[in-house]
Amino acid sequence: MRIICPFCGERELGEFTYLGDAKPQRPAADAGEDAVYDYVYLRDNIAGVISEYWYHGGGCRAWLKVTRNTLTHEISAVEPAAGAGAAKVGA
Amino acid sequence: MADFSWDIRSPLDRALVAGPYGAQGEAGVSLTEIRNFDLVQVMARRGKAGETIAAAKARLGAAAPETPKAVSIADATVIWSGPDQFFVLSKGGKHSIDALASVFAGSASLSDQSHARALISISGDKARAMLAKLSSIDLHPDVFGVGAAAATSMDHTSVTLWRGDDRNGQAVFNLLVFATFAESLWHTILDSAAEHGVTIGHSEDLA
Amino acid sequence: MMRGDQANRLNNGGLIDRTAPLSFRFDGKNFLGFKGDTLASALVANGIKLVGRSFKYHRPRGILTAGSEEPNALVELRSGARREPNTKATTAELYEGLEAASQNRWPSLNFDVMSVNQLFAPIFVAGFYYKTFMWPAKFWEAIYEPAIRRAAGLGRAAGVSDPDHYDKAWAHCDVVIAGSGPAGLAAALAAGRSGARVILCEEDFVLGGRLLADGGTIDGLPAAEWIAGAVAELTAMPDVRIMRRTTLFGVYDGGTYGAIERVNDHLPVPPEHQVRQRLWRIVAKRCVVAAGAIERPIVFAGNDTPGVMMASAMRSYINRYAATPARRIALFTNNEDGWRTAETAIAAGLQVAAVIDARPDVSPAHRSLASKGGFPVLHGSVSAVDRGKAGVRKISVALTGGARAEVEADGLAVSGGWNPAVGLTSYHRGRPKWRDDIAAFVPDGAPPGMVAAGAANGAFGLGACLREGFEAGAAAARDAGRGGNIGSMPVADDEAFSLTPLWHVAGNGKAFVDQQHDVTASDVELAQREGFQSVEHLKRYTTLGMATDQGKTSNVAGLAIMAAVTGKSIPETGTTIYRPPYVPVAIGAFAGHHRDENFHATRLTPSHHWAAEQGAVFVDTGLWKRAQWYPRAGEKDWLESVTREVKAVRSGVGFCDVSTLGKIDVHGPDAGAFLDRVYINAFSSLAVGKARYGLMLREDGIVYDDGTTSRLAEDHYFLTTTTAKAGLVMQHLEFCRQVLFPELDVQLTSVSDQWAQFSIAGPKTRDLLKEIVDPAEDLSNEGFPFMGAREVKLRGGLKARLFRISFSGEMAFEISVPARYGEAMARNLMLAGKPFGVTPYGTEALGVMRIEKGHVAGPELNGTTTAGDLGLGKMMSTKKDFIGRVMAGREALTVPNRQVVVGIKPTDKARRLRSGAHIIPKGETPGPENDQGYVTSVCFSPVLDQWIGLGLVERGRERIGEIVRAHDPLRGEDYDVEFCNSVFYDPDGGRQRG
Repeated sequence: MRIICPFCGERELGEFTYLGDAKPQRPAADAGEDAVYDYVYLRDNIAGVISEYWYHGGGCRAWLKVTRNTLTHEISAVEPAAGAGAAKVGA
Repeated sequence: MADFSWDIRSPLDRALVAGPYGAQGEAGVSLTEIRNFDLVQVMARRGKAGETIAAAKARLGAAAPETPKAVSIADATVIWSGPDQFFVLSKGGKHSIDALASVFAGSASLSDQSHARALISISGDKARAMLAKLSSIDLHPDVFGVGAAAATSMDHTSVTLWRGDDRNGQAVFNLLVFATFAESLWHTILDSAAEHGVTIGHSEDLA
Repeated sequence: MMRGDQANRLNNGGLIDRTAPLSFRFDGKNFLGFKGDTLASALVANGIKLVGRSFKYHRPRGILTAGSEEPNALVELRSGARREPNTKATTAELYEGLEAASQNRWPSLNFDVMSVNQLFAPIFVAGFYYKTFMWPAKFWEAIYEPAIRRAAGLGRAAGVSDPDHYDKAWAHCDVVIAGSGPAGLAAALAAGRSGARVILCEEDFVLGGRLLADGGTIDGLPAAEWIAGAVAELTAMPDVRIMRRTTLFGVYDGGTYGAIERVNDHLPVPPEHQVRQRLWRIVAKRCVVAAGAIERPIVFAGNDTPGVMMASAMRSYINRYAATPARRIALFTNNEDGWRTAETAIAAGLQVAAVIDARPDVSPAHRSLASKGGFPVLHGSVSAVDRGKAGVRKISVALTGGARAEVEADGLAVSGGWNPAVGLTSYHRGRPKWRDDIAAFVPDGAPPGMVAAGAANGAFGLGACLREGFEAGAAAARDAGRGGNIGSMPVADDEAFSLTPLWHVAGNGKAFVDQQHDVTASDVELAQREGFQSVEHLKRYTTLGMATDQGKTSNVAGLAIMAAVTGKSIPETGTTIYRPPYVPVAIGAFAGHHRDENFHATRLTPSHHWAAEQGAVFVDTGLWKRAQWYPRAGEKDWLESVTREVKAVRSGVGFCDVSTLGKIDVHGPDAGAFLDRVYINAFSSLAVGKARYGLMLREDGIVYDDGTTSRLAEDHYFLTTTTAKAGLVMQHLEFCRQVLFPELDVQLTSVSDQWAQFSIAGPKTRDLLKEIVDPAEDLSNEGFPFMGAREVKLRGGLKARLFRISFSGEMAFEISVPARYGEAMARNLMLAGKPFGVTPYGTEALGVMRIEKGHVAGPELNGTTTAGDLGLGKMMSTKKDFIGRVMAGREALTVPNRQVVVGIKPTDKARRLRSGAHIIPKGETPGPENDQGYVTSVCFSPVLDQWIGLGLVERGRERIGEIVRAHDPLRGEDYDVEFCNSVFYDPDGGRQRG
């Protein structure tokens, strides 16, 4: 498998580390135990298109959001995590 | 009072044996370790990528690359190392971390990597054939031209690779490898290059 | 003494170099062949028909094919450490001094005692493993398996380490082409001319594919001339790479292809510094599969008799190698193409005994060929083969209409039609589709970027192959963005192809479907009767297609027979899933450089070579080599050395290279806030110039890592991790920075390799440091208090970082200098410490002192423990959010009966405590229901003069003084231990603060 890193270009799978589903968002500090429990443990097992986190640790060390079809392995989009590089986000 | 000597030792000091190696005859691969350099990692702070590049330009006279490129100026090379970050490679302290600290104050964070890497310069007819065993990226001249750079991996080890100016009509590939991995990767490089015949040396001069 | 006179070699022709004779040995006998031969063609030239014994029944077998689909002619190639079993004689290139031995026979090929297996044939039928050897279960390992292994099987592995080298490489191109027959060459020409970067892989050592055996006229030129012209044109193109002896064996996601290049298999031993084989990972925008087709056998009784050969293979031997497999040849065909073998035989001056054609009609041209050649055309099928000493002797023919005929011949060529090589196109779970006109499966789509052309796509005519190849090559180049002038397409006529499907001729005697696994037509029928009708079940129950040839000559016939007995059509019956590799690939090639000492990369500490000079014993810690202890002359074992090192530190001073700890620069205005979120305790409140121990949790509340972090400037922290987790913590922190907390202005860099860091410990540490540090630096308790951290100047001007932290419980500092000074630092510490008896110590002594001090490490940070379990629960801040905070508070992680860290020592001071021993209350029976925890870390404590340890035990901290059993079934030990404070040494910490 090959992933087009938005910073480095197309690279082979061995340069990347997989994390998992990019959908769950870390709950706010006061969200309560149930919300955190869902965030930590609950995952959909999607047969189809999923957005997931990959780390280009063998390259530019950017965290990437990869849109991938789990049935075909086709990758339709790759975008950097919000805070990759010096991007200014939020506060 | 003991008489201390602070000998400096490159991470390849023991492993590197200058001279020919591998197949006899005309060497297809030339390996030169460049020793004792200053290497500073410059990482722009949030929202300050533009300021960082401007600061680099004011100081070095060249814009720091925003894409995987290496830019050579008179006394330094600026090498892209990731989004909004780059290395400044130089000799003799002119662009050491202490010298650069004020240049990037407020715009970027600096980290001294001078001792964290070994620098190997690779050239020769068979340099690409040898590198094809180590690197998964495409080094064809149309794809990886002079000044191209990559943050990539060799032998599962992170490296920074860039193509310097050609020397004697031949491509020159420069490789920064982590110091503690250097000896191991050096042996892998030698194994990969042996069939082509190798000439090995070291130098104090940046290419 | 040379034996074998190449009696079956034609005087003229063939792509062999008669000026380059090569001697070789087969089963201990000497023969001669020529450069350009394969082992198989040289054996054919020397009249050798019997080359091996079969897998189950030990039946004599000959050469069936002339390519990589060969099921029978497998040999052990080379000898000694280089002996390679199951090498196909049909692809093994002849070289001077080649040694090969037939397989699976004892004591000799001609007389094999195991051929009695044939008498027991009824027990070797489909599923025999499952049926025959069911009971009693214990017999399986002791009796059945060894017996089966002796009786059935293929070649023998060398049994010793392979002395040759293998490597792996990457290649990149626009178009990769599998196969260099007419379609492949035409594709390469079109793509190459358009300016594309092309890689042309050919598994043979000569380019040309079937053209080499079947010739033809292309662009008005004889095939050989056209090939030479095409190859010359391709060779002149700088971006076209022709890879001979290279099989494209697999396709992977994202346009990545696997190929195996047999770089030096054609030489007795690879030249110095060269590899035997190279595994290629080819990244290509497009792929043209021009891998051709495989001629398929017809299944009939005695079809495995030596002398029975595929018709196309017979043409290969005669035309390409000028070697005649037989003198008097019979041909059994169901199609037009098979007749070429009769033409070839006549042209070579051989006798044609008869053509047995299963079709009702034969073309007028062939009828006149028969009458000119003076041989009969028999309409019918071969029903039996009579075997003499030299293989085929007489062939029985069941004529259409019921009559019988007999044909005397010493060779039988068989053509059942052609199966396109659909492997590569089907490797992503593609299912080929059935085409009635050629009675074969052809590709139905392919992985992205791939297309089949020529015979691989079911186009069997020469003109069609050239056309499809050229068009596919041009389209592939165009898709890859290349638009050069592709010139004119090579042109040739198309031959007629007519076929009447015939898979299996009913008859008496064994009729083999899969010759390599000895699966017969009746095995397939039996599988059907027993309910194994799905092709996937058929495959596994009979093992059809599961041998090293992966059923290249047998799969389609097997499912055709299954279709016939189930009354379904062949496409309804379907194919099994195709999986790579297309040909066997040596594990050595997959490993490449990564074997023995190169199994993985290694990391060396800055003082490694100094430590090696001191005679240090090294231990592998992840990728690192770390000094474990420094033995001295006269010390009888590691324990004596380690005990000496510990005592030296506790009474004087010692040092240890701790550069393996992960070190991360955390920069930026929000660095403190960032660390507050990743550690359970606060770091924004840490004063500049101070260090603090920190603990990180996973989001699920379990401890992730620990280490000290120092604040070197308002916006600069220096964070350390454990050796084991260095890379993972960096990844985790980057996730926090980029994904979880992108609003924080913080930058991270690994500086693990930048600093050589040494721990200096013992009551005389300050004395030593005063020697080495500039006298202007204040190292007193007031000037440099416990947990202080700052830059200092060394004598001579070098700057270093000094941290007053202690892992040993002694007065200690860690000092770091830029890594290239690391070795000098070790030497200077020895020099400076000489008056104080300085002692270098290794990881064992480090471990002993941390256990004496009750510090947790890897065995306690084991992915199941909480901060509370480790006795560090009070560190958890209640004033801020941090990773793992919420989950750490859930019930299961906070119940009072959790297993927590406690000190453990045997009640018998002389007894050795062992890690892994289970804690069982006194008077209880060992077992899961009474298991209260286990011993995690142990050492011999020189201070206490006994073995001590740490354990994770239910309510351990509340049970100080209680005596329990340490139950160690692994070592057969059971002894009493006492719980105690986990800090065995200097519990109030006076020494490290002093």
